[in-house]
Amino acid sequence: MVSTGIVAKPFRGLGGFFAMALDTLVCMFRPPFAWREYLLQTWFVARVSLVPTLMLSIPFTVLTVFTFNVLLVEFGAADFSGTGASLGTVNQTGPIVTVLVVAGAGATSMCADLGARTIREELDALRVMGVNPIQSLVVPRVLAATTVALLLSSLVILVGLAGGFVFSVYFQHVTPGAFVAGMTLITGLSDVVVALIKATLFGLTAGLIACYMGISAGGGPAGVGNAVNETVVFSFVALFVINVIVTAVGFQVAP
Amino acid sequence: MSAGTVVAQRLPRVTRWTRSAVDGADRIGAQAEFYAKTVVSVGDAVIRYTSELIRLIAQMSLGTGALVMIGGTTAIVGFLTLSTGALVAVQGYNQFSQVGVEALIGFASAFFNVRLIAPLTAGVAMAATIGAGATAQIGAMRISEEIDALEVMGIRSVAYLASTRVAAGVVVVIPVYCVAVMASFFAARFGTTFFYGQSTGVYDHYFYTFLSTTDLLWSFVLALVMAVVIMLVHTYYGYNASGGPAGVGEAVGRAVRTSLITASVVVLFVSLAIYGQSGHFNLAG
Repeated sequence: MVSTGIVAKPFRGLGGFFAMALDTLVCMFRPPFAWREYLLQTWFVARVSLVPTLMLSIPFTVLTVFTFNVLLVEFGAADFSGTGASLGTVNQTGPIVTVLVVAGAGATSMCADLGARTIREELDALRVMGVNPIQSLVVPRVLAATTVALLLSSLVILVGLAGGFVFSVYFQHVTPGAFVAGMTLITGLSDVVVALIKATLFGLTAGLIACYMGISAGGGPAGVGNAVNETVVFSFVALFVINVIVTAVGFQVAP
Repeated sequence: MSAGTVVAQRLPRVTRWTRSAVDGADRIGAQAEFYAKTVVSVGDAVIRYTSELIRLIAQMSLGTGALVMIGGTTAIVGFLTLSTGALVAVQGYNQFSQVGVEALIGFASAFFNVRLIAPLTAGVAMAATIGAGATAQIGAMRISEEIDALEVMGIRSVAYLASTRVAAGVVVVIPVYCVAVMASFFAARFGTTFFYGQSTGVYDHYFYTFLSTTDLLWSFVLALVMAVVIMLVHTYYGYNASGGPAGVGEAVGRAVRTSLITASVVVLFVSLAIYGQSGHFNLAG
């Protein structure tokens, strides 16, 4: 009996997650939409993620550009470092940094906030008053995470490209004109669109995971801490997998 | 009315601004003090709290709570590097075949996986699993006043809670990073040879030609440095959690944000220091 409980637990969690995701999807199109909560949450997630975005995208891009430039200088093609920078930033570093920011900053604070409400039994109070917590709390949060992720990914790409430009031009002595001219050599509109699609999916998934973990938190102080911990782990795993799949599909659809 | 009060009333904005700047400096000082104390007491922790250290090593490598179900820290780190390794295959193969040099994908795996992707991904995964777990545990102890109880019993709480975790992190990171590197190599090779149909001989030739032992050792150093930084940041935020049950969750979130930023900045500077201006790279061998 005990062993079946242990085996069944992860599956029950997975089932609960999909049930909540379905509920959220249904509630999304059902009238009263919580505009105020949506705007507040968008502002909250944006505020929490802005500094990590700037602080993470610069080192990641500089590291990528540095590693690329080592290679390009060896080939005698340092003028193409702009190509490497835009390729790395738009296709991989941008989405990965967006993952880190959305899951590591946005989802954690969202889950901490919801988890605190859950263990203070505010959600039960809402249900007693006849308010559906999915509609009033989860839907605006998931949509806010999606919106902010989409906006952040463009910021990550811009900041990353600027950081790569400064590093290449001022520290590795690449000609600025050659850097800018090389940027659009391989990277085009389809890559940018794929990056934006990725970011939207990241925000949606991370928001759903954070809300599910927050709603199902329990067991006092350790419970909320564990819920946040599991949010980070599960959203990292989910988002990295989404990243690989969307990259592969993107190359098939728009080479 | 003292002079300070008069100034505070006349210039509220300036006062608030100064106070927040002073508070920020205070926080940096408190963190530096905590880190120094933790690092100094590592010796103490190894000698006096050996059994706690061993328990933590076991717990960190295989995970706690719901994470045990999916294989613990090692499995998660392996899985994340598996997915980024697959990314090398997908991105590299498609990009290289546009230029007509898809034979060089083995080289890309040996170069980018070792220098860039495996250390960064492993660091991120460690922050999410071991680090966030440590913050959640210590934070819950702080909220339920167990840390005060430890102090009353005459146990050095920093050595017992923080230093043991830093030492355990350093021990655990080595096997975990081995798994990470192997997973990223395997995923890149499997993706290229199985899905995109490149012959294994071509892949292996370029892979082994450009795989450098020195780079691999340096990337272990990167992983070690990251483990120390991540564990220090996470234990600090757990140790200083406040604000009831909700505070633990907030502390975990803040710790993850800070440690991701610190770890990536540290990796950037350490790799610049290791590879330098010239990059220590020879195409000719």
